[in-house]
Amino acid sequence: MSSSDGARSESAGNGETVVEALGITKSFDDVVALDHVDLDLTRGEVHALLGENGAGKTTISNVLAGIYRPDSGIIRLDGEERHFRSPAAAVEAGIGMVHQHFRLIQPMTVAENIHLGWRDTPRLITRRMLEERTAGVMDEVGLRVNAAAEIWQLSVGEQQRVEITRTLARGARILILDEPTAVLTAQEARELFGVMRSLVAGGRTVVFISHKLNEVLEVSDRITVLRGGRKVVTRPTLGATPRELARLMTGEEREVVRDARSAPGDRPLLQIEGVTARGARGFMALRFVSITVNAGEIVGVAGVSGNGQTELAEVVAGLRRVELGRVVVDGADLTRSSSRRIADAGVGHIPEDRLGVGLVRTAQVRDNAVLRNYWSPENSGRITLRRGRIAEFARKLVDAARVQTPSIHSPAGYLSGGNQQRLIAGREALVAKRVFIANQPTRGLDVRSTEDVRGSLLEKRAAGCAVLLISDDLDEILQLSDRIVVMYEGRVLGEFQRGEADREQIGLLMGGHAGEAASEGR
Amino acid sequence: MSTIETPRRIHLERRLHIGPRRSALVRVAGLLVALGVALLALAVTGRDVPALGVEVWDFLSIGDSIGDSFGLQSTGNLATPILMDAIAVAIGLRMRLWNIGVEGQFYMGALAATGIGIHLDLADPLLLVLMALAGAAGGALWILVPAIARAYWNVNEIISTLLLNFVAIAVVNWLSIGPWRDAAAEVVQATPQVNARLPLVPGSLILHIGFFLPLILAAVCFVVFRSTRWGFEVDMVGGNPRAAAFAGINVPRRILTVMLISGAIAGISGMVHLTGVTFRLQGTISNSYGFSGFIVAALAGASFVALVAGGLFIALLLSSGIALQGAGLSVYIVLAIYGVVLIGIAVGEMASRYRLVTGRGETRSPGKRAPP
Amino acid sequence: MNALFGALRTAIDAGVIIVLAGMGELLTERVGVLNLGQEGLIGIGAIAAVISADLGAGPWVAFLVGMVAAGVFGLLFATSVVVVRTNQILTGLAVVLVGVGLSNQLGNGFQGSPVTSRFTSFRIPILADIPQVGPALFDHTVIVYLSYIILPIAVWFLLFRTRHGMNLRAVGENPAAADAAGINVTGMRLLYTTVGAALSGAGGAFLMLVLTRSWSVNVARSRGWVALAVVIFAAWRPSLLVFGAFLFGAMSSLRFIAQQQNWGIPSALLSTLPYVVTLVLILVPAALSRFGFKGRSSVAPGSLAQPYFREER
Repeated sequence: MSSSDGARSESAGNGETVVEALGITKSFDDVVALDHVDLDLTRGEVHALLGENGAGKTTISNVLAGIYRPDSGIIRLDGEERHFRSPAAAVEAGIGMVHQHFRLIQPMTVAENIHLGWRDTPRLITRRMLEERTAGVMDEVGLRVNAAAEIWQLSVGEQQRVEITRTLARGARILILDEPTAVLTAQEARELFGVMRSLVAGGRTVVFISHKLNEVLEVSDRITVLRGGRKVVTRPTLGATPRELARLMTGEEREVVRDARSAPGDRPLLQIEGVTARGARGFMALRFVSITVNAGEIVGVAGVSGNGQTELAEVVAGLRRVELGRVVVDGADLTRSSSRRIADAGVGHIPEDRLGVGLVRTAQVRDNAVLRNYWSPENSGRITLRRGRIAEFARKLVDAARVQTPSIHSPAGYLSGGNQQRLIAGREALVAKRVFIANQPTRGLDVRSTEDVRGSLLEKRAAGCAVLLISDDLDEILQLSDRIVVMYEGRVLGEFQRGEADREQIGLLMGGHAGEAASEGR
Repeated sequence: MSTIETPRRIHLERRLHIGPRRSALVRVAGLLVALGVALLALAVTGRDVPALGVEVWDFLSIGDSIGDSFGLQSTGNLATPILMDAIAVAIGLRMRLWNIGVEGQFYMGALAATGIGIHLDLADPLLLVLMALAGAAGGALWILVPAIARAYWNVNEIISTLLLNFVAIAVVNWLSIGPWRDAAAEVVQATPQVNARLPLVPGSLILHIGFFLPLILAAVCFVVFRSTRWGFEVDMVGGNPRAAAFAGINVPRRILTVMLISGAIAGISGMVHLTGVTFRLQGTISNSYGFSGFIVAALAGASFVALVAGGLFIALLLSSGIALQGAGLSVYIVLAIYGVVLIGIAVGEMASRYRLVTGRGETRSPGKRAPP
Repeated sequence: MNALFGALRTAIDAGVIIVLAGMGELLTERVGVLNLGQEGLIGIGAIAAVISADLGAGPWVAFLVGMVAAGVFGLLFATSVVVVRTNQILTGLAVVLVGVGLSNQLGNGFQGSPVTSRFTSFRIPILADIPQVGPALFDHTVIVYLSYIILPIAVWFLLFRTRHGMNLRAVGENPAAADAAGINVTGMRLLYTTVGAALSGAGGAFLMLVLTRSWSVNVARSRGWVALAVVIFAAWRPSLLVFGAFLFGAMSSLRFIAQQQNWGIPSALLSTLPYVVTLVLILVPAALSRFGFKGRSSVAPGSLAQPYFREER
């Protein structure tokens, strides 16, 4: 576990400079994305690029990787000035980038994906030959994934490994990872850090783009902080504190919010009793799950994504059939009720795939605002919609949720990602008069939006709602929950009160090691 | 320090929101350009284009009153099935359902209406109503299997409805030359005349009142999709079925319903054409009205106003083409011109959905953010 | 050769046009382009072959001219949908209109007159002498052997045994990923749409030079649409396409047998058989997979009918 620390102190800032970028400036129309940014990368280091959304981290990386051409500035690779005409040229020179959204072809195999567009691929191929070559490449690089598997069959972490292998196979000496942990579980992130350290031990350089302070502190040797398109500072990781970094990132002193919370209520508002349900592929996703959430309480559901959490949220929100068991909201049995009846009963739901499920991009903001209550007597008559009332509601929602949009008639797809999220979260918060289900509500959001969402969860709690928070970010769960349950393979394996929760124990349960957790005897 | 210049990149960028005015203008522009090209091609191959123009003018008798203009009225009769079929397609298109089977549903609607119309003899209004119901049922039944397949098994509706077109035409062919053949008339290869006809518009020679049906229907659709809950839900499903399910809409059932309605309208279209123009069922009762209707609907996008305008225009184009056959222009050339015009409008449609951006200096639309 | 094997022989011939047009569309759809214009392209190929035969060309030249003519139209279509990015469905329908219209117009005057060039049958020695089966299977024109054997094998080999083919499939599945990997998406799409159209033209030429041997109005007789359907039935796999095409041919020949043997089923109804069977063959796997039976995956290439914009990445 500590080998990373040892390696870190040695190589921090000591290696030879491998990439130098000076005065890089890049604009898109009238928006300046990079303003005379300088950056240097040394051999054998993990260099973190830290900043909020829009700070320029991905832009500068895209410049290094040959995807964008800078408006001005120079790039030197091993002392020699280079102009990359295309990503291919950068790859040729040894700079490879793994993006947040993988460029993988789902129905094709790992082996095929790795060999796609690769000069070394022979002209005539067979599946077996590609798989053998892939195994060879993976051994060289030190990563292992089943070469014959088709991409859609792999977990996100494995897919990422395929992407990394692809890039390394083409001779990348400098590997840029763009927000790699955004799609990983805590466990997978840890594994990734191990991979990163072993790569730099072999003399490569890794650029780690992130906005997560903890991770940056854990794995990097040096940190460059960007803000508003400018570089704020480059410093060694050793000795940096989260507070300081946060201040550098946001430019303001951020008080760590001490949440002085009142005790949770004891009136059960949401009762999930012995619920058993099937998942999308037909197998049992939930097995006799029982969870109770009281008014004014946040119950956090910890666990690795894919262990039934989403099905749980869908069951409560009325989007999935229950085979056995009951769901009771404020005394009313809503087990067989339609999702509309449940929404009317005051159950709000931020879905895991927010934009894919929660928003109709081609429809107006106004229509999206009433997506979950357009049928109410206030908003519609028997046949027609009350457009006036709907417009009024939409305007109020947009104001309250601080959604920036030219008008409520703009198509929702025209809003920026952050505003889309605010629209969805704000709408669901309004629906949630009694119960609020939030499934991975902060995944992929920047610091400010994350805090907004967490704040709204606490507000709901203070207003007496029952909040069910599902998240694979354990820190988030620990920070916000009054009680924590752990789900694994469709069952609840353990329950903890706030304060008595132990990271390691929870981690074990998340991995299914119920026995070990119990035997620790705590 | 040397500077690296980014060359002005000319590329296409998708618009999410197209103003109706721009949308219409660009399509009309595309249409006119294509028409111009076609006329140019005609001229180049030695045809006397102005003379052709005069022929068309005469045929349409645009100078005279509508009541006397045989040409305009026959254009109206041509527009009726095209517009009806276009409306049938347009309703499906709101949910991203491509019902290219309107032709077959038209045939089956006419078939069902004929079944009633030649075997029952009742008072006209009553018989017409029954025939209309039969027509709707015929069209709806014909789309039932593709509708179920699409709603519940996700089978692509383009191919399934398309294949049934051919089956419908063959069945109608068989019936009209076989079991239902008009034994009395030896030359005609069709059924006997049906026992009811749609009345003519007062004062006209051949234009029947069915002409107003698609216009009324288009108006109804306009209101439905603008103001009703049902229309709202249809648009939501078309925009994002998963979000529609999240909103509590039963998506498969809605797909089924919308497709059945689309088929029913096409079926009524067949009945109207039967009782307004041909009066007998025969294998050639449709002159690709479904095809044209599909094209009109696809080009009109979400606008029912554009649909009516487009349908009327296409009817005019085809009608002129028929008139020009007298002047030696074969129907095939007209078809080819039709195709070229279609491409022109398609290019226009594309142009309206995307815009050309030339590197920097373009004004950004409000609300757009910079790429990360 | 008795009636059954006579039917077999007819079926094989009838299926060729489906194999050719279908294989062409298979390649086109494998790069993500939907070309609905088969009906028009077959007409173009047919009339081009007829005209060149009339001008004195031999069968092979006429065949090639048919391919080239349709290929030109294919290139125009490809440019429109890939470069200008017009709606693929509408543009495909336009190709049908222009193709059918133009070919009918040019064919005016050729109706009924026999095409002056022809392909002679090529008897495979020994095999063709097997009683009954021999003449049915092994005494066909070269095109038949090319279509049923060489072409599918070549396409299969291209798609699954070459690097180029892997790139081709990638373009159809996910053009953004293919582009990022350095593959020329636009070029691939233009190329294989054109090649696909040329193959459809080949089908039309075959029609004129071997099968019906004289021009008639609407010469494709909806077989272009059937080819489109068969591609779906074949789940975009060359081997299944050949099978599906043959099946269609068999359905068609059934109709002629029925007439000959006086089975009493009206010819018009029998003519619906190919379409109904194709429809059933498309519906059955989908229905079965819904009820749990997971057969082969019938998934279309991921980007089918969607234009690719690099900037939208």
